[in-house]
Order: sequence, then structure tokens, then C-alpha cells
Amino acid sequence: MRGSRFFAVLVSASVIAAGCGSSTATPGATGTSPGASAPVNTGLIGGKLVIDNESGSTWTCQFNPYNPSVSITSVGFIYEPLEFVDALETNADGSNVVTPWLASGSTWSADFKTLTFTIRSAVKWSDGQPFSAADVVYTFDALKADPALDLNALWSADGGPLTSVAQQGTDQVVFTFSGPAQTYFFYVADQTPIVPQHIWSTQDQTKLDSYADTDPVGTGSYLMSNCTENNIKYLRNPNYWQSTPGHPVPQVAELDYPAFLSNTPANLELAEGQAQWGAQYIPNIDSFYIAKDPAHRHYWFPATLNVALFPNMSNPLLGNVAVRQAISLAINRADVSQRGESGYEPAANQTGIVLPTYSAWYDRSIDTTAFDVAKADQILEAAGFTKGSDGIYANAGGQKLSFTIKTISGYTDWDSSLSVIRQELQTAGIAVTIQDEDTSVYVPDLQGGNFQLAYGEETGGPLPYYELRQMLLSSNIGSTNYSRYSSSSTDALFNQYASASAADQLTIIHQIEQVMVGQVPVIPVTEGVDWYQYDTTDFGGWPTPQDPYAQPPVWATPDNGVVLTHLFPTH
Amino acid sequence: MRYVARRLGLFVLTLWAALTVNFLIPRLMPGNEATAVLSRMKGVNPAALHALQVEFGINTDQNILVTYLQYLGNCLTGQFGLTAARVPVMTDIMEKLPWTLGLVGVTTVIAFAIGTMIGIVSAWRRGGRLDSILPPFLFIVSTLPVFFVALVLLYVFAVTLGWLPLASNYDLGATPSLSLSFVGDVIGHALLPGATLVIVTAGSWIYTMRNNMVTTLAEDYVRMARAKGLPSWQIMIDYAARNAILPNLTGFAMQLGYVLGGSILVEYTFSYPGLGYLFYTGTTDHDLPLQSALFLVYTLAILICVLIADFASALLDPRTRDS
Repeated sequence: MRGSRFFAVLVSASVIAAGCGSSTATPGATGTSPGASAPVNTGLIGGKLVIDNESGSTWTCQFNPYNPSVSITSVGFIYEPLEFVDALETNADGSNVVTPWLASGSTWSADFKTLTFTIRSAVKWSDGQPFSAADVVYTFDALKADPALDLNALWSADGGPLTSVAQQGTDQVVFTFSGPAQTYFFYVADQTPIVPQHIWSTQDQTKLDSYADTDPVGTGSYLMSNCTENNIKYLRNPNYWQSTPGHPVPQVAELDYPAFLSNTPANLELAEGQAQWGAQYIPNIDSFYIAKDPAHRHYWFPATLNVALFPNMSNPLLGNVAVRQAISLAINRADVSQRGESGYEPAANQTGIVLPTYSAWYDRSIDTTAFDVAKADQILEAAGFTKGSDGIYANAGGQKLSFTIKTISGYTDWDSSLSVIRQELQTAGIAVTIQDEDTSVYVPDLQGGNFQLAYGEETGGPLPYYELRQMLLSSNIGSTNYSRYSSSSTDALFNQYASASAADQLTIIHQIEQVMVGQVPVIPVTEGVDWYQYDTTDFGGWPTPQDPYAQPPVWATPDNGVVLTHLFPTH
Repeated sequence: MRYVARRLGLFVLTLWAALTVNFLIPRLMPGNEATAVLSRMKGVNPAALHALQVEFGINTDQNILVTYLQYLGNCLTGQFGLTAARVPVMTDIMEKLPWTLGLVGVTTVIAFAIGTMIGIVSAWRRGGRLDSILPPFLFIVSTLPVFFVALVLLYVFAVTLGWLPLASNYDLGATPSLSLSFVGDVIGHALLPGATLVIVTAGSWIYTMRNNMVTTLAEDYVRMARAKGLPSWQIMIDYAARNAILPNLTGFAMQLGYVLGGSILVEYTFSYPGLGYLFYTGTTDHDLPLQSALFLVYTLAILICVLIADFASALLDPRTRDS
């Protein structure tokens, strides 16, 4: 149904986490009962786990972690990052829970311009060669040598946030940035998988992005054992660095990752109990999947992003804050969530903070009255609009509140959400028509401002800052600031964030929430979620709303690697 | 000889026209190659985008005539570059080609054999029970859209009865080999898509064959054979069918084009990873190098079939050569 909607997220927004997190947990969004008796880990090794995720095409049997078309089959399984950042779990001060991975730790300089990682020394590549700080330096240099690898623009955005990466002593790597760079930690530590210098340096350094890497050598918990166009088989890495005597890691002996070309066979595989780890959109999931074994089957759809209406503020009518406020008040978000998204995607709120995931960042003092048509009427009338005989508001010049909403063709759940929105706006005296566009037209239209209203989402990041900055920073007009909102005071807030203390960052985000509610530059409607199903018959240790130690769908890299180190066979 | 030369000349001219259309159409579509790449990699930084464009051979500043000549050169040498997934286009195509060739080739032969046989027998027993039921029924079925037949078969045999697999070309866990179990697995997966193609194409064979038979049966030499007292099966096969089959034989090649087109819908419905499915994903992903190459493969396949049909009819029927 929803086609390839997850691919956009996959390219740059996936996140991580790790550890046996026990700090202030982010409870689940749309969950089911987490199972009365969670299985107990008895230290067994064994079992074959089948992964279920519609890939839309057959496997190419390439494993280059920097090729976005294949990275979901190598990052996490084979290639690992320096540290894991859990987008679903925050500390008391709002920051992400971070777990050291290939680095044993990291420290920022006081001005947040220098980041020093201490690299683990006992790690080995799967071909037996030792892993070292030199591999880390090499990886980042490779990103510089081939800009097509640098998908998060570490070397080239805004004049290059990263200015140098150098080894210090035997086990330290120092990252130097051109300015305060706290917000780049996620991309450096979590989103950059480390590759082996002794293999990668023998390839053409300017074409590393198309290096096939058919026989990958990594540090990860799994080894690629066999690949056909229809299935990838992974075996546990018997020499994985996290293993200690008496505590083997990982514990699941074998993984199968079949290539599903379409949703239906992938969903049936889950329903028949053939697969245990699902990342599927399943209509009527309770009867189709859960009901067949309610004691062992579960789903959890954690929310990390907003799905929003973007008003084009260069349109004279939508440039009027009263009109934007009226639209926001006229939409019954709970109703859109229920009727448009079957309740799977929760209702969003006007602050732009995704709840409950980021409740630490939510300013409870803000009045976010949602759905109040009488108030919408009041605001429009106060702004000089009058209802015509057709029930649609018009201004003194006779211009009607009649707009077109652009959306992406093939996103059928968005289409049904929009038809609910259309009815609700109609009732409130605002006429809209829905226009479906192919992404190759939709994206340039949004970036270029060729629309009135648009239904869409950002790629986001591990905290609300990333999504809000993409939406509202004036220098993002032309890329992700679709609304064309421009305010020097808001820009200043974003620019202070990268060098601010945790407490100040919270204050900054609270001020931006005021902007979202007061200026309504974007109108969040529902929250985008990760589809995730799991079966505890044979395996335990899954991420749950009570223990959100990683983003749970298998395509979220490198979170998948964290999940794999937690899973264990139950018998 | 002049006939062969003329046909070959026409072949080259048609091919050139098709290649030019193939070059122009993607460039007339909304957005250009650069925006297609951009939308596929939402959030990519401009420097990375530029590097990717250079690698994909997308040069938005270059003179279109130069691009066109390069494109023609690439078509001749089979240099299509990399797909969006960074696999050489030709590797990708060669991997999928056997599956489509197998599926389409076998089903076309089966549909031809079944259709021709039914056509012969029903014309021989004109007005009989077989003649009044099978040809009209199959002809009606053959006018149904391919995807409709595919969905009905899928629903009945894979979803409801569960007798046959729902998707893919072989079991997802299987390892390709020449073992009996794997071959059986492949055939099991090909049954439903194959049956769909046979059902929608058999009807037209029956009709042409039946009509030709009816005409031939009225010929003097058939009456002569009857007068000689030959057994009726010999008259049916050796005297009538042998002559009546000519138009069907030449039509065989032409039919391949229709079946190739139909295979896109069939492969999509059954998630069968052949060329048709590749065409579908290549189009939805705006994978221009892949689309261009696939278009060329399809065009070539059809043009070569037409050429073979021309030569075959010239060989079988001397009258074509002189005209």
C-alpha cells in the first residue's frame, strides 16, 4: 500500500541506539501488550531467524555500506559505527542515550569544535586483521576523496563542518570542525560505518561509491555467508568483539534475509509464522497477524517524525497567519489518524514535537488547542474574511480560501488522510483539492515553491532539532524549508543550538515550539511511524516500548546491529 | 537476395527510429535526469549529487546533439553504465533475461501448440461439440486484460487454495542448482504466470488456425484426397493443416512482441523477477540508464522476430519473394 515510503527515511534519517538502556525511557507510541511473560536469556546459541522487509527488488549481492541501494544489507550486520545514538531513548536532559561501539568513548572540547574518540584495540576485522584508529581516519578520508560517499555532507555542507580528521597517539582520532558542531555528532559517530583500510584502499578511491564489495569484511556481529538474488544468508561471527567468556554475542546462529518484491507475500510470510522480524505495513494487523498467535506476536509502531501540511508562505493568502491558524484549528487530527491511517499513525500536535517519543522536549505550558472550528471561524472573521454563499471564506478583494494540496502518488494512506482533511476544511469554509504527483515532480515543486499547500515529511534526525531546523531555517529555502518561512530570530536560535548546553538547548527548542504555535509555518497532522512486528516464540530480546534500546525496523541502520546483539534463542 | 537486403535495410531504419524515440521521450518527461536522481536521494548534499551525476553520465550542460551521438555509440557497444543501484546495466539485464525468456518462450510455444491443435480439430469437426464450446470460450477469455486473468488465478490457486506459490521465481530459501528439487521449484513458481500467458494468447491462435483450415478444407486437393479414400486423420494433418498453418507460423514471431508486453503485467502481478519486473521498477525509480537499455532490448527482440518472420514466410511461400 504505502509503496516505497520508507526509502526516503532510509537514506539519511535512520538512527541508532544501544546499550541496556535504563534511563528515562521513551514509552511506545502505538503499541500492543508487550507480552506478559518476556522470554529469559539463558545464554543459548542457535536458531535461524528470518527477516521480513519488502525490498521491492531482488538483491544485487553487493554490500557497499555507502551505496544507499544496498546499505540496508550490510550496515549493522557487517559494518559498524563508532558509537550508537538511540533516537527513541532520551536522558533526563533530553539528549539521546549514546552507547560506545567501535570507540570506547568520546569527548568534546569546551568550544564544541574538536571531538576526540578513543578507539577500541581488541577488535578484529572478520578476515583476522586487527582493527585500529588508522581504519577510522581512512574511512573519513575516503568520504572526502569521493564526495558521492559523503551522503551527510560532513566535508562539504556550509563550507565544510569537518576540517580535519587525524590520528593522535595509537588509539585516538581527533575530528576538527570549522564551528561548534555538537549536532554533527550523530552523523560522525552513528551514521558513518567504518570500513577496512587494508581492503578499501586498494580500490579506485574516486569511485568507492560504486565499489561492489561482494565479499564484505567488517567488524560486525554477522558474516555474509551466501547471497542469491532471492536471499542473503548471514552466520554469526564466532570471533565478535563483544563476546566474553560465558556471554556469547550474538546468540542467533543464522539469519535469512529474503528479497520480497511486494507487500502481499512479505505479509503472508509473517502471518504464517515463517518470519520473525517484520518491518511491514500490514492492513488490519490485529486480525491478519496478531490473532493467529496473540501470546507471542506483537507489534510496536514508534513515531519519530511529523507528517505535515506545508503552507507556501509566498502565497498572499497563505502568507496570512490567520489563514494558517484557521487551517490548523479546522483539522481534527485524531480523526485523520483514525480514518486515514487506521489509527496506526498517531495524531501530531502543532508544536512539532513528536510525542511521546520526545516528551522531554515538549513545553507543557504551551496552549496547543487542537480542532476548534468555532475558533477558526472567529480568527478568519477577525482577519476580515467573510463566508460566501457557497460556504467558503473570501477576503475583501473576493479572493477565496481555495487551495490545492500536492501529495505523492502511490502513498495511498496519505490519500485517505487527505480526503479526511479535505472534508474537515470544507466544513470550516476552506476549499481544497488534492493533486497527486510523482516524486520526480513533487520534490522539485516543493523545493522550488511551486505549490500552495503540500502534504509531506522531512528526513529528520535523532532529536526534534533536526526536523525543526530542516523545516524552518531560512537558508534551507530551496531544499527542506518548503514553507519558505524566514525569520532572523528563529535562525539565530538554531545557530546557537550547536554550541549550547543541554539546558540551553531545551530552552531554544521551547522557543521554537512557540514559533510553531504562534506563526504556524508548518501544520503537523499525524506522526510518521516505523512499522515493526516481532514473534517471541523462538527468539527474545526484542526492542519494546518499555525498553526502546534501538529503532526496531531492520532497515534502520545501524540500529539493526544493536538489535542483533540483543536477540537470543528461547529454546 | 534483393528481398533480404531490402528487409535488412528496413530493419536498420526502424531500429534507428526506435532508438531516437527512446532518446527523446525521457527528455520530454517532466523533470530531467538530475531531478530524478535528486528525488531518489532526498536529503543528499549538492556536492555528492554532482559527483553522482558525473558518475551516472548525466551532464546537464552538454550539447544535446553530442549527448545523442554518445548515446547511439553506447547503444552499439552495449555500454549503458550503472543502474541506480550501481550495478552495470548489462549485468542486471543478463541476470533477469533467462527468466523472462524461459517464461515467455515456453508459454508461447505451449499456447501455439494448444491453439493450433484446437483450431485444426474444431475446423475438421465444424459445428461439433468441441467447435461450439472451446473456440468461443477461449476467444472471449483472450480479450480479458492480462492482469485480470493473473489476479483471478492468483486469488484462486495461490491465496484461496494455497496450491501454488504466491510470488517469486523460486523458493526464497532455495539455492539455485540443477537438482531435481530446484527445477521442480522453478516450474512450480512458473505455473501461474505461465498459465496466465497461455490463457490470454491461445484464443487468437485458435481463430486464425480454424479459419485457415476452413478455407483449405474447401480446396480441390482436399476433395481429391477424400476421393482417394485416405484415412481422415491423414487428410486433416498432411493435406489441410500443413497448408493452413503457414500464416500461424509467421504470426508466431509477431506474437512474441505482444507476449513480451504482457509479461510486464504478469511479472508484476506475480512478483516474478524477470525483465518485465525490472522494467517496472526501472520506470518507477526513474532509472534512466536501465530504462534505455531495456527499451533497446525489447525493441531489438521484437524487430528481430519480425525479421525472422519475414524470412520464414519468404522461405515457406515463394510468392512473397517475387512480389
